[in-house]
Amino acid sequence: MATQLDKTNLLNAYRTMKQIREFEERVHVEFATGDIPGFVHLYAGEEAVATGVCMHLNQRDKIASTHRGHGHCIAKGVDIDAMMAEIYGKRTGSCGGKGGSMHIADISKGMMGANGIVGAGPPLICGAALAAKFKGDQGVGVAFFGDGASNQGTTFESLNLSMVWKLPVLFGAENNGYAESTGVKFNVPTANISDRAAGFGMPGITVDGNDFFAVYEAAGEAIKRARAGGGPTLLECKTNRFFGHFEGDAMTYRAKGEVKDLRERCDALKIFSTQVTSRGLLSQEEMTTIDSEVKAAIDKAVALAKAAPNPTAADLLTDVYIAY
Amino acid sequence: MARKLSFKDAINEAIAQEMERDQSVIVMGEDNVGGAGSPGEMDAWGGVLGVTKGLYPKFGERVMDTPISESAFIGAAIGAASCGMRPIAELMFVDFMGVCFDQIYNQAAKFRYMFGGKAETPVVIRTMIGGGFRAAAQHSQCLYPIFTHIPGLKCVIPSGPYEAKGLLIQAIRDNDPVIFFEHKAMYALKAEVPEEPYALPFGEAKLLRSGEQVTIVAFGLMVQRALQAAEALANNGIDCEVVDPRTTSPLDETTILQSVAKTGRLVVVDEAYPRCGMAADISALVAQKGFESLQAPVIMVTPPHVPPPFNGALEDLYMPDSARIEAAVQSIVK
Amino acid sequence: MEGTCERESVVGILANPESGRDIRRLVANATVFQVAEKSNMVMRVLLGLAAAGVSRAVMMPDKGGIAARVIQACDLHRTVSSRPLPELTFIDMPIQCSSQDSLQATRLMQDMGATVLVVLGGDGTHRLVAKVCGQTPLVTLSTGTNNCFPEFREATIAGMAAGLVATGAVLKREVCRTNKALLVEMNGHPIDLALVDLCVTDDPCIGARALWTTQNLKELFVTFAGADAIGLSAIAGQLYPVDRSEAYGLHLTLAPPDGLLTEVMAPIAPGLLLPVAVSAIEQIRPGKTIALATTTGTIALDGEREISFGSSDRLQVSLTMEGPLTIDVGAVMAEAAKYGCFAHHYCPALATLMLREVPAPAPFHTK
Repeated sequence: MATQLDKTNLLNAYRTMKQIREFEERVHVEFATGDIPGFVHLYAGEEAVATGVCMHLNQRDKIASTHRGHGHCIAKGVDIDAMMAEIYGKRTGSCGGKGGSMHIADISKGMMGANGIVGAGPPLICGAALAAKFKGDQGVGVAFFGDGASNQGTTFESLNLSMVWKLPVLFGAENNGYAESTGVKFNVPTANISDRAAGFGMPGITVDGNDFFAVYEAAGEAIKRARAGGGPTLLECKTNRFFGHFEGDAMTYRAKGEVKDLRERCDALKIFSTQVTSRGLLSQEEMTTIDSEVKAAIDKAVALAKAAPNPTAADLLTDVYIAY
Repeated sequence: MARKLSFKDAINEAIAQEMERDQSVIVMGEDNVGGAGSPGEMDAWGGVLGVTKGLYPKFGERVMDTPISESAFIGAAIGAASCGMRPIAELMFVDFMGVCFDQIYNQAAKFRYMFGGKAETPVVIRTMIGGGFRAAAQHSQCLYPIFTHIPGLKCVIPSGPYEAKGLLIQAIRDNDPVIFFEHKAMYALKAEVPEEPYALPFGEAKLLRSGEQVTIVAFGLMVQRALQAAEALANNGIDCEVVDPRTTSPLDETTILQSVAKTGRLVVVDEAYPRCGMAADISALVAQKGFESLQAPVIMVTPPHVPPPFNGALEDLYMPDSARIEAAVQSIVK
Repeated sequence: MEGTCERESVVGILANPESGRDIRRLVANATVFQVAEKSNMVMRVLLGLAAAGVSRAVMMPDKGGIAARVIQACDLHRTVSSRPLPELTFIDMPIQCSSQDSLQATRLMQDMGATVLVVLGGDGTHRLVAKVCGQTPLVTLSTGTNNCFPEFREATIAGMAAGLVATGAVLKREVCRTNKALLVEMNGHPIDLALVDLCVTDDPCIGARALWTTQNLKELFVTFAGADAIGLSAIAGQLYPVDRSEAYGLHLTLAPPDGLLTEVMAPIAPGLLLPVAVSAIEQIRPGKTIALATTTGTIALDGEREISFGSSDRLQVSLTMEGPLTIDVGAVMAEAAKYGCFAHHYCPALATLMLREVPAPAPFHTK
């Protein structure tokens, strides 16, 4: 259980969550200045999920992400400078400025891409897991998807296919309560997304997605099982979104004071800090040091991104095919 | 005399030879083995029309049955391809693309561009096209223009057994996503096919018949019909050149333009719908880049803008045949 | 049944859709209890209550589909059947979609006059209800994972029994039993209770709540421990079974297996049999307070880590005999049969003649 996390691991967990939070809070601020183009969906509030899951993964393992993918990228080890530059559409970005926030990917890190299509990830991750099975490398695939995507046919088909082929997959349902502006209580007629696993003969469990340790433990068991050939698991993490569906969303569909209340009561970083300091696992000073390091790193990433060159006109025509 | 092989067996042989050569080649599709989970024998079908029959006994678990769940398994083939495998997924009829198209045109086609050139997706999606089987509107279409429309996909339409084997081997070895369109009315068609593996390059049209008066560009089964028409026309003293582009993406514009520059007349034969189809596409190409050499209007020979009908007489009316091609040629050779 | 109409009889039904989703479904092949089945059980309870003459039932609202399905099923029942159902009211309360809903609903049901509570859930749900149910007796129905406290029983019968006690047809004092409970105090304040087992671990985090390994287990308290128990109490049950009715509980000191200490292979969760070593067992009597030997860790109450504590915290555990009251459904139904609660004899003489093979006919309750 959680005791297997030594101090280094705990510090890493905190650093990852803090990086995600700081990155997203900063993108939120910078977006408001008008410098960031396009559609941006922020992950703040859901840090414990990406971090608790990805801490069990190595570079061989693959993840498929969503339109709300920054957190998954950071947790999977994608370079923050390259991510920020990509969000600014710069040539130095992860995708050379051709993908943007919704398509950040780093195949070398096992990050198979944020995705602009809701529910596109689960079939792809079945393929990644199938490849791992053929290679016999004990690799696993994790498909992150939201409560909205839980209703897509692709998700249902993938739950089925992964059982039919006994694939090493973790379906990580991030239930943040909203599919865009539509509440989960309207969208999902079962009490829990995890209930749906039973229809496929798959274990389905629900954990508090704001509690890093709860996610870490549950994901650890599911991934261990998948690596051992035990097949897929549906893990639902109930969590919260601190920002709108996209940047610029006025969030009039949310209750008055809802986000403020969530930030007070359900903040994954606060919950983590309280847990580790009250038990003497980490000191406040250690976390404060990380806070300032992370802030400096994000400052640097933003400065680099702003200063970076745009793609050239010639870049428009490259990278469609390997050879054509 | 060289060995003759059917279109179907040429495809099967290409897959088998590539699976032999490369362990990362795997095959998946509905009933591609045929018999999984059933009380009878395995390899019962080998695909709905038997194209993959015999692969499972040779390659075991590298040949996989799938649930009838195109989004999941076409998506899985694409995901596996981006993780180092070379999957050959069979989308039984191209008409079924409607249930899985997102994975093809938004995922496979775009990974490389969206991810700044860092993704490779060497997937092959084999799919049946075409009419003539009285299979009606949902099992008879030629939807390759839709795929050709999407940057990032390569589209291959073999016109006979020799092309089928060579183009499929190239498709499997190719590092980009390839959609391979097999006209179901040609599966039994036999021709000479070399036994050893060979790859035919994409984007190179084949000049099947040289001629001076009219260029006929045709795709898939229509190549066979264009050749019949050209033969008949030659007996009437009209000398046609027949060009098979073999791939619609990439498209060998040079061969088409050179041929039209020589003949000054163009008939395009396409079994796809007329609007935004390959016939329209090639007509536009020639209008833009070969206008000066044209001595007559470009003629498109396509089905009418209607879905494929069930009734045999109606379907025969629907499909372009050699008589219609002959008439089209004659209409511009005065 | 005489007198049933004089006073309105109200029964509360608690079924929380949020329960039964924890990690044991993954690590221990535990049951997934679908919301649809919980709603079906509620309907069967309602039909049982109606048969016993209960006029009104109150339920907690939820957003997970139980309430919605029950409303639908009641409407359907009224369309297709002439048999009555109790009038069903849903409590007007905010829904948090957590176990807190069960606590709140339990309090409000009593305010609304419920004299019996039917609880659908596992040890965890029953523990929550026990915290606030006071002297209101419970009819327990198992739907959860590691269940020792609630009974596996057909919901229809549970509804009939609950109804008979609520209407007064069967006297509460004849069929209720008191249960033991373990009380936890932290720094001098009572903070929680457990109905079956209380396990101390040195794992600092609550994490995924359930316990599915034994390596961190330090101490175990049990109110009762069956030799056939499932869950942590099985560790005690394998060595020293204790009945629910005994006036003591047990305190065990645990350790990882080392090849020297007594080792128990215990089914700590469904399908999860793990070895654990026991270095000491002591009986604990009501009123005696035991300070925890562990300085940092978590306390699992009835199988789930609920309390995290550090070296500055003082923790004490004691046993009480004043836990929740539960209704012995078997005893209620035996009484019901004795007095013919569900029988109607149009002609008592014929009824007596009917019992040819039975030597001494029981006296019929006067209609």
